[in-house]
Amino acid sequence: MTETDDPAQSAPNRWYWTAPYVAVVIFALSMLTLVGLLQTRELEGQRNAVARDVQWAEQTMRLHMQGTEEFLGQLARDLSAEMIDADGFQLRANQHIANNGELVNVVWVGEDGTVRWSAPFDTTDWLAGDALSAAQSAVFLDAREGVRATYGQVYTTARGLTVLEVYVPIRHGRDFRGAIVGVYSIDRVVRHLVPGWFAEKYRLALQTAEGETLAVNSTLKELDESVAFELPLDPPGNGLILRATAFRAGGQLPQALPIVLIVGLSVLVLWSLWLLRTHVLRRVQVEKERDRLFNLSLDMLCVVGLDGSFRRCNPAFERILGHSPHDLPGKPMLDLVHRDDVAATLEQLRSLASGQPVKFENRCLCADGSYKWLVWSINPVRAEKLVYAVAHDITGRKAAEEALRAESAFRKAMEDSVITGLRAIDLSGRIIYVNSAFCRMVGFDESELLGAEAPFPYWPPEDLDVCSRNLELTLGGRAPASGFEMRIRRKNGERLDARFYLSPLIDLTGRQTGWMASMTDITEPKRVRAALEAAHERFEAVLDGLDAAVFVSDAGTDEILFANRAFKAIHGFDAVGRTVRGVAVPQPERGDYPVDPRGLTVTDLPRELFDGELQHPLSGRWYHVREHATRWVDGRVVRMGIATDITDRKQTAEISRQQEERLERTSRLITMGEMASTLAHELNQPLSAIANYCAGCVTRMQSGNSKPEDLLAAMQKARFQAERAGKIIRRIREFVKKSEPRRSAVRIAEVLDDALGFAEIDARRLGIRLVAEVAPDLPAVYADRIMIEQVVLNLVRNGLDAMSNVLPDERILIARARPFGPHSVEVAVIDRGHGLSDEDRARLFTPFFTTKAEGMGMGLNICRSIIEFHDGRLIVDVNPEGGTIFSFTLPTEAASERVARRA
Amino acid sequence: MSESRAAPDQQIYIVDDDEALRDSLVWMLESSGYTVAAFDSAEAFLAAWRESMSGCLVLDVRMPGMSGLELFEELGRRRFSLPVIFITGHGDVPMAVSALKKGAADFIEKPFGDQEMLRLVEQCLEQERSSRSKRKLEADTVRRLDHLTQREREVLDLIILGKLNKQIADVLGISIKTVEVHRARVMEKMGAHSLAELVQHVVTVEPTAAPR
Repeated sequence: MTETDDPAQSAPNRWYWTAPYVAVVIFALSMLTLVGLLQTRELEGQRNAVARDVQWAEQTMRLHMQGTEEFLGQLARDLSAEMIDADGFQLRANQHIANNGELVNVVWVGEDGTVRWSAPFDTTDWLAGDALSAAQSAVFLDAREGVRATYGQVYTTARGLTVLEVYVPIRHGRDFRGAIVGVYSIDRVVRHLVPGWFAEKYRLALQTAEGETLAVNSTLKELDESVAFELPLDPPGNGLILRATAFRAGGQLPQALPIVLIVGLSVLVLWSLWLLRTHVLRRVQVEKERDRLFNLSLDMLCVVGLDGSFRRCNPAFERILGHSPHDLPGKPMLDLVHRDDVAATLEQLRSLASGQPVKFENRCLCADGSYKWLVWSINPVRAEKLVYAVAHDITGRKAAEEALRAESAFRKAMEDSVITGLRAIDLSGRIIYVNSAFCRMVGFDESELLGAEAPFPYWPPEDLDVCSRNLELTLGGRAPASGFEMRIRRKNGERLDARFYLSPLIDLTGRQTGWMASMTDITEPKRVRAALEAAHERFEAVLDGLDAAVFVSDAGTDEILFANRAFKAIHGFDAVGRTVRGVAVPQPERGDYPVDPRGLTVTDLPRELFDGELQHPLSGRWYHVREHATRWVDGRVVRMGIATDITDRKQTAEISRQQEERLERTSRLITMGEMASTLAHELNQPLSAIANYCAGCVTRMQSGNSKPEDLLAAMQKARFQAERAGKIIRRIREFVKKSEPRRSAVRIAEVLDDALGFAEIDARRLGIRLVAEVAPDLPAVYADRIMIEQVVLNLVRNGLDAMSNVLPDERILIARARPFGPHSVEVAVIDRGHGLSDEDRARLFTPFFTTKAEGMGMGLNICRSIIEFHDGRLIVDVNPEGGTIFSFTLPTEAASERVARRA
Repeated sequence: MSESRAAPDQQIYIVDDDEALRDSLVWMLESSGYTVAAFDSAEAFLAAWRESMSGCLVLDVRMPGMSGLELFEELGRRRFSLPVIFITGHGDVPMAVSALKKGAADFIEKPFGDQEMLRLVEQCLEQERSSRSKRKLEADTVRRLDHLTQREREVLDLIILGKLNKQIADVLGISIKTVEVHRARVMEKMGAHSLAELVQHVVTVEPTAAPR
C-alpha cells in the first residue's frame, strides 16, 4: 500500500460504506411491506370466515325457532280441535323443552289473556290464572290479529332471566281461543344453538338494534374486534342482531414476530456493519502508521524470503546504500554483502533456520561501489516463510570506533613512551591511574597499584610519616609548586629518589576529580649533583691521599700549576710556581718523549707522553712515571705527571715470583715421587722379563741340551727388554732434569706424544685408551717444553683418575691439539669421567682444593700459572658426552716473536 | 727337560697381558722341563678352559679387561681345583693377600727370581698331584661301597663303630660264623688290607659313619 490520503480515493470509500446501510434499510422496508400485505390478506380471509360462520349460526337458530313455531302451531291446532287435554299438553311441552334447551316455558294463554296451562308444571313464572303484563298483552293482541306466530320484545323477568316470547294464536274457525306462548331464554339461545367449535372460535352476542348486548356465549377470552360480523336474526324480526367476534388467537404474537425479527436483524446487521467499519478503519489507520514507519524509518527495513532474496525494502535503502527500493525485490540479499563477510553472514543466516532471531554486523555494497558497515537484526517468521530484517548503518560508529581505538592506542603509546611516571589519585587519595613509566620506576604492576590507598606499596617503611604528610598536603591542595622530593621503595626493595609534581585532575565538566602526579627519577641527577659537590673535596682528598706524586705543569713554560701533597712532600712545599725540571727527580729525559711537549697544540690532545719505570739515582727507589699531555681547566696545554713509588711492589712481585717458582719445584718433586712409584712398577716388567730370559738360558746351558739359536733368540729378547727399561729411565731423567723455563719453538705434537707416553703406564693399569688428535701443519708454539709437557701430563692424569669408575667401553681419553685463531694453538684434554659439579668447577683453581682422595690440590693451580706464564689461558668446560674438557692456549712462535720484540 | 718331577699330564698355565713377561716366563719354565701353555688374557684362558686340566695356574693380578682376581673368582664358581699362583706388582700386595684368603696357593711379587718361581710351581704341582690321587681314592671307595649288599653294609657300619664279631652277631641276630664270612667279603670288596685301612677309606668319604 502506498499513500491513501488523497480525497479522490476517500470518496468511493465513503460510498462503499453507505451502500450496505441503504441495502439493509431497503431490504427491511420491503420485508415489512410484504409481511403487512400478507397479514391484511389473512385478516380478510378471517373476516370472510366469520361472515360465513355467522350466517351459518343465524340459519341454525332460525331453523330451531321455526321448528319450535311448528311445534307450537301443532299444539295450537290440537287445542283448537280440543284433541288435547292438560296432561297431554304438559307431556308434549315438557318433551319439547327437554329436546330444545333454549326453550324455557310453553304456556297456553286463554282468549282473555290469562294463563290457562303452563309447562313445565313446576314453573313459577307462568301460573295458571295470571294475567299477561302490558307488554305481553300488546304482543298477545298482535298475535290475535295475525295468523302467524308473533315475537314479543325481549325483556328481563323478575328472576333476572332475559327472555324472548313467541305467540302462536289458537284458532277454531274464526274463533280465537288464545295463544300458545313459547318462552326462549336469550342466554340459552346463544349458548345452545351453536356447536362447540363455534364457541371456541368466536364470541357470539345477541344485541338489540340499539347495540345493547343481551347475551354472550363467553366472556372469558380476549376479542379481536377487527374480525367481527353482524347479522339480523330474522324470525323474531324485531331488530335483534347476532354478532360474532373472533377471539384473539394465540397467533397474535406470531403476527408481530416477523416485523420484530426483521427490524431486530436489520438493526443487528447495521450494528455489526458499524463495528466492522470501526475495526477496518482502525486497521487502516494502523496500516497507514506502519507504512509511514516503514517508509520514514532511518534504518533499513526489509522483508526477505527464505530463498534469501528481497521481497520488500524501504526507502532507507536508497538513502543509505543508494539502491532503489523498487529494484531490490527479487535480488539475493547476499549480492550486497562484502566478499569477506559472505561466509560469516551465511553462518548467521543458517542459524535463522532454527527460528532464533540473529544479530550480526557486516559490510554491504553501496550503489557507488563503496561499502558500509551495517548491523543486522533479523527475525524469522516461519509461518510466513519470511524473515524480517532491520539494518542500521554503523559505518560512522565503526569509523568512530576505529578513530577512538587509534586515538587511545596513540595515547597509550604516548603514555608508555613517556619516561616521566604519571599517577592519578582521586580526592580520597586512592590511586586511579598509573602509567607504565610509573610502574617501571616503582617496580609494581599496574594491577597492584590501582585502587591502592595510603600507605602505598612503594612508600618505604622508614619514611611512612613523611610520605603520609606529603599526601595530606596534596589532598589539601597545599602541595608546593616545586613538588616533593621523596624516597621510593621499589618492589625489589631498592630505594630511589623521586620528585613529584602535583596538579589538579580536572574532568570534562571542569570539576576536579583528583590529583595528577608526575614523578621523575632523580636518583641519578641527585647522585651526580652530590658527586659533583663532593668531587672537588674528593679530588683534593684523593690526590692528597695518594702515595703517588702528582703534578700539573704548563707544557710550554714547564711551570708547576698544581701539585699534590705527596709531590710537595718529596719536592718541597713551595713547588707550585716553580719548574718541574728544577725540582723533580727522577725525570724522563727530553729524548724519552715521542714528541716535544712544548710544541703540542690543543688539537693534539690528549696524548701520552711517557710511561715507564725510573730509578731514583740517590735513594735507589723505583718510580713508575706516567706523563700525559692534556688540556687544563683554563684551556692551556699542560703536562700531567704521576710518579708512583713501586719499590715495594717490585720487591713483592719478585718475592711472589720466587715463591711460585719454589712451589712449582715442590710440585714437580711431588709429581716425581708419584712418577717414581709408577715407574718402578713399570720397570718391573722389563726387569722380570730379562731375569726370566736369563734364568732360562742359564738352566738350559747348565743342562747342556741347549740349541744355540734358541738361546740367541732369548738373549735378543732380553736385550730388547733392557732397552725398554733404559728408555723408561731416560724419560725419568729428562723429566726430572731441573731447568729454568726456557721458551723455544716447540712442536706441540711431540709434547703430546711424550706426555701420553708417560701417562700410558697409568692408562694401561686402568684399562683406558689414550688417543692423540693433532691437527696437521700445526705451527710451532713458543713455550718451555718440559713445563707444557708437565701441564699436559697433569691434566691427563686428572682425566684418568676421573674415569676409574666408568664403563670399560667409555674409557677413552682424548688429547687434542688444533689452531686457535691465527696466533694461538689450543690443546684440550677430554675425558669421559665423572665430571665436575658447578661448585667444584668454581673452586677448581683454589690452592689445596682437590676432588681426589690422595691429591694435594696444587696441580691445577700450578698448571694455570704455567699457562699464564706462557700468555695463555687454562679453562675448564663440561664435555657434552659426559666428563670434563680442560683446554689451554699457547701463542705460536710467530706471534710470540712480535710480543717479544715489543717487550 | 732336566729336573722336572711333573707328572706327564701336568701343565703350567700362564695368564699375563705383558708379552715380554709372558714369553720370558714360558722360556724359563720350559727351560726347566715343564709343559707350559700361555694366554694373553683372562678371557682367552676361560675360552680354553677344560675340567680335565691338570697342573697349576700362574696368574697376573692386573690385566686389562678381566683382572686376575676376577678370573680366579670365576674359576672358583666353576669348581676349578688347580692351585693358583698370583704374580703381583709393586703395591698390589693387599690384593694378593685377599686372593690368598680366597684359596689361592701363593703369590709372587715382581721382580722375582727364577728359583723362587720354580720352587712355587713345583710345590703347587706336588700339591695338585697328591690331592688328585686322594680324590681318586675317594671316588674308588665310593664306588666300592656301592657294590656291598645290604647285609654287608650293615656289618661294615657296625665294624666301623668298633663292634666285635660277637656283638655284631647279637645286633643283627645272626651267627658269629656268618658275621665272619660277611666281614671277609667286605674286606675283599673294599680292597682293604687291614681293618685300619678299611675304616680310614670309609670315614674319608662318609665322615658321619665314624663313632662320636
